[in-house]
Amino acid sequence: METIAIIGAGHAGLTLAREIRQQDKSVNLVILSQEEICAYYKPNLSKALSTGKSPDQLITKEASQLEAELQCTLLHRVCVTRIEPEIKVLTYEMPDETQRTLKYDRLVLATGATPMPLPSHVADSAQLLAINHLEDYRKFRNVLNTKKQVAIIGAGFVGCELASDLSSQGYQVSVIDRAEWPLNRAVPEVMGSAIRTALSSHMDVRWFLGKTIEAVDRLNEQTIVRFSDGFLLAADVVVSAIGLRPNTELARQINAQVDLGIVVDAFSQTSIPHIYALGDCVEYHGSPLPFISPATHAAKALAKTLTGQPTELLLPSLAVPVKIGPCPTLICPSLGKRGVWEVQGSGIDLEAHYLNEFGQLTGFALTGKCVSRKMELARQCQSVASDAPLSLAS
Amino acid sequence: MAEYQCPDCGYIYDESVGCEREGYPAGTRWEDIPEDFPCPDCFVREKPDFETINAS
Repeated sequence: METIAIIGAGHAGLTLAREIRQQDKSVNLVILSQEEICAYYKPNLSKALSTGKSPDQLITKEASQLEAELQCTLLHRVCVTRIEPEIKVLTYEMPDETQRTLKYDRLVLATGATPMPLPSHVADSAQLLAINHLEDYRKFRNVLNTKKQVAIIGAGFVGCELASDLSSQGYQVSVIDRAEWPLNRAVPEVMGSAIRTALSSHMDVRWFLGKTIEAVDRLNEQTIVRFSDGFLLAADVVVSAIGLRPNTELARQINAQVDLGIVVDAFSQTSIPHIYALGDCVEYHGSPLPFISPATHAAKALAKTLTGQPTELLLPSLAVPVKIGPCPTLICPSLGKRGVWEVQGSGIDLEAHYLNEFGQLTGFALTGKCVSRKMELARQCQSVASDAPLSLAS
Repeated sequence: MAEYQCPDCGYIYDESVGCEREGYPAGTRWEDIPEDFPCPDCFVREKPDFETINAS
């Protein structure tokens, strides 16, 4: 019987398994992960406090349920140490350090991404928490337990959601970023300012924007963040949320083509035959897209490809809801990077269109009441996409 | 009244509650929701992906 092995049990890996099982009841599925495997929705990590959930309550499916539903083998806490594409064998290390091998027919890399560390001369990573999976989040909640002041480095999607979540529960939150406004790569300045104002006037979030961090040091029980202008900020807990770096080590080891992320063709295949990749470890259109939606679309298309119906991945517009309590936000990042913002509305009710050189809508961002316009704008974006198919083949 | 759940984020469409913010008042039956209805929370999954969790 044919075996499909999936390395990684995050959203991409588990969604792929689910979609494969819907297409094919007989193929042998093996999922390997460095963590304890369970299903949870990663974006909920930065919303758990305000929704009153403990880390365990974020789990939507335990391993036993996954095994029963997906009819698959789950290998928990194993580390893949070697892939031999010529003979289609991978070697993995068990928690007790014994080495085992697995013969596969097709292999999928769904290895995800790792939070980027601050430069080592600025901070020792041990002083900072970074949250990218449930186990990180458990640690964070344990540390948070008795603390009051939290500093978040990075005002992107995760940083803004965490700030909103923490401050809704009475934590004193400071957000630090080099950029002049939050979500600066995804929204225009006027909208970023509206989000900033909403979070500081309704929720007591303090902002340190346009700031460069020179050092992060421990002093007694606190962490001190020192800015290049000499300003010092003390916090009980410092979270780093400055972005993600695709996990490409295994792909590099087998000499698969890797740029910022693993390079794949329109069928999610790497440059090595029988080896595919999807999700946060991959680059789409030349850049990583660490969001749920592209991973889900890639999983659906790849499941078909792997079960006998080769299906090209077309990424529609990717609307990403950002849960910022006092200022509902929805962002549809543009895949094209050349364009200009056009903004209408007032207060927090803003609608921003990202237009390419032909005046076509390639992305948008909505806040406040304007969020209700998402369907209509997503359709307009999609029609642009279908006029010029976003083929991934290079 | 039946309930349907987004397989990704866990949002539940409860027919007895509907989804007012998307324009579906309480009592709107699942069969009357359009096929391209995206999950109102994650905006990723669409109606055909939803799982029936309580069919009564």
